Amino acid sequence: MFRKYVFSLDHKVIGLQYALTSLVFLLIGFSLALLFRWQLAYPGQPVPIVGRWFGELNAPGGMMLPEFYNQLVAMHGTIMVFLAVVPLSVGAFGNYLIPLQIGASDMAFPRLNMASYWTYLAGGMVMLASFFVRGGAPNSGWTSYPPLADFATLGQTFWLIGMSLLIVSSMFGSVNTVTTIVQLRAPGLTWFRLPFFVWAQLVTASLLLLAFPPLQGAAILQFADRVLGTSFFLPSGLFVGGQVVNRIGGGNPLLWQHLFWFLGHPEVYVLILPAMGIVSEIIANNTRKPLWGYRLMVYAIIFLGFMSFAVWAHHMFLTGMGTVISAFFQTTTMIISVPSVIVLTALLLSLYGGSIRFNTPMLFALAFLPMFGVGGLSGLPLGLASSDVPLHDTMYVVGHFHYVVAPGTIFALFAGIYYWYPKVTGRMMNEPLGWLHFAGSFICMNGILFPMLILGLAGVNRRLFDGGMTYVHAQPLHNLQVGMSHAAWALALFQLPFIWNVFASLKLGRVAETNPWHATTLEWAAAPAAAVYRAAYEYSVPGAANDFVPQNSASL
Amino acid sequence: MTEIPYIASVRRDTGITNQKLGMRLFLAWEVMLYGSLFSSYALLRTRASSWPQEAAIVNVRLAATNTVVLIASSVAILRGVAALRSGNISRFRALMAATGALGFVFLAIKLIEYRGELAEGLRPSTNNFLGLYFVMTFVHAAHVAGGVLVNLFLSGPGAVMHRHDAARFLGRVEAAALYWNFIGVIWILMFPVLYLF
Repeated sequence: MFRKYVFSLDHKVIGLQYALTSLVFLLIGFSLALLFRWQLAYPGQPVPIVGRWFGELNAPGGMMLPEFYNQLVAMHGTIMVFLAVVPLSVGAFGNYLIPLQIGASDMAFPRLNMASYWTYLAGGMVMLASFFVRGGAPNSGWTSYPPLADFATLGQTFWLIGMSLLIVSSMFGSVNTVTTIVQLRAPGLTWFRLPFFVWAQLVTASLLLLAFPPLQGAAILQFADRVLGTSFFLPSGLFVGGQVVNRIGGGNPLLWQHLFWFLGHPEVYVLILPAMGIVSEIIANNTRKPLWGYRLMVYAIIFLGFMSFAVWAHHMFLTGMGTVISAFFQTTTMIISVPSVIVLTALLLSLYGGSIRFNTPMLFALAFLPMFGVGGLSGLPLGLASSDVPLHDTMYVVGHFHYVVAPGTIFALFAGIYYWYPKVTGRMMNEPLGWLHFAGSFICMNGILFPMLILGLAGVNRRLFDGGMTYVHAQPLHNLQVGMSHAAWALALFQLPFIWNVFASLKLGRVAETNPWHATTLEWAAAPAAAVYRAAYEYSVPGAANDFVPQNSASL
Repeated sequence: MTEIPYIASVRRDTGITNQKLGMRLFLAWEVMLYGSLFSSYALLRTRASSWPQEAAIVNVRLAATNTVVLIASSVAILRGVAALRSGNISRFRALMAATGALGFVFLAIKLIEYRGELAEGLRPSTNNFLGLYFVMTFVHAAHVAGGVLVNLFLSGPGAVMHRHDAARFLGRVEAAALYWNFIGVIWILMFPVLYLF
């Protein structure tokens, strides 16, 4: 019993464990945002209904204190990136689908796979536990910049321990993923016959493998700063609260930023590549055409993987690195936008001339294209040092990365859930509820995020506890904050049909045939594939009996 | 569940076993981890207004002894792998146990070093060199400790596997040897950087 459902070695069960856990974290992270959106829209007013739950230390009389607001924002970022989106896209989708799509019986190292999930869960629990320690949860932002983080409350130490567990978990996972894809492909499944999803997961795993350890190193150093009293990130002569800090000094706060963003930027591609993979599968399937430029897309993301290690300091244009270094990093940043544009263009061209099936997964996949487009294009002014100077640390940046991750990646993940649900459960999800979920989410998501870009261009800083009310230039725009918050709460309501759909369709959903979408890739084959005879997306092949030819089919 | 292929047998088109590839990927992770620590050392030291004479503070003699101990253990584990390849299991077990024991000696000497420094009032917080010294050598020592456990396991209870799946056991031992030699190389880089320069 325990071996089958709890400490399972089966990649499908582990994938589902990852899926359920990360969806719960997604909901927790979202709830934190719903809370602090109240403070941004109605600063200083008591939070209705739930305000009294947080105690006098956090919200006296239901009014949120700045310290509590900081905890909510820091944990929203941490949970969303490290505990929700990455585990869902890599741990859940990767674990469940990679072995199926390459015709393998399981991942290469099943025990390592189990260890990966349980280390992830432990890391998540440590992160959540931090809410209950003295001083509350980590409150130095998801980036944990020192010197602030060095002197933050005990929760920051929990953050470092939790993060270390998550890093170890992702190391287990990425070693496993790369080995599986390299070694366990079915006979005949050559590199350029792999579904694009598998390619995306391969590049993602490589990024996780090589980018995360520097953050582990940084976490060890920050842990030493906090616990052993070292000064790795503390410059000499530092004042905190009007007092000279009694430390030896001589350290460098920028060292943390370099180590953090060495992870942080590849992490952005860890967030987006699996989403591109999912969207590609769904677009090929619902246009009933091969992907346009499949090879080009593969080359593009391999190049993107390499380049992502050479752009990290574009997060640091304001730190005074010097114009030479800024020029270097803005050049690499402009270069790295090319492969993303290639993938997006290839997907758009894939739509051309297709007779498109508009089902729920396809709607989310199609919405991904313009949403990721807005996210990516709004990033260009941030990648150029001169235009980054006024935009940095404004709401514009918040709008930019949320467009990439929220209606970008998360929409792709929703698309994937609707698309592979029949594979996992044997039943279809309800279509009208799916449409409702899609339409509501699409409108509300833009209602939250587009005003962020406007606020940022008007010069409203991010991280303002009162939503900008103390600044004259921000006051006229405050009605936008109110609208954004209402859009956020409406977005929460539109997730209810989705949650209902996931659970109710287990019993009420229409029973699905083995290959309900008439797809070509191996995960839909009735039995594990003995051999592969063709490329991943042979749709509408002239002369074939059906409009799709599965990869494991020897004849047309 | 069907058997996973290529655990210990080479896949022809990739030319590698799962065990070897997995260990190499893990070592790539380790390279990046130690790389970040060495880069931090370089950045902090080049930006520092003053840096202590390293050899005057830390115990070069003990560390040099430890370097010899670790190199000897690397030789032992490689001889052990050779013995296992030629099927001499008892010789393998003796050499693997020796590797574990030498690793243990390394840790004991490291502990004596730490005690000496702490007795002189030297703490990680004393200066950034000592901070890096304690953190980097501790991270390395933790890796050694993990390796000692694995090596002792493979020389003792883990060796049973040799009887029913010799190829897979050899693969495990080779992976352990790869890891152990990697840890040795890291020490050979760490010794001059943290004790001599």
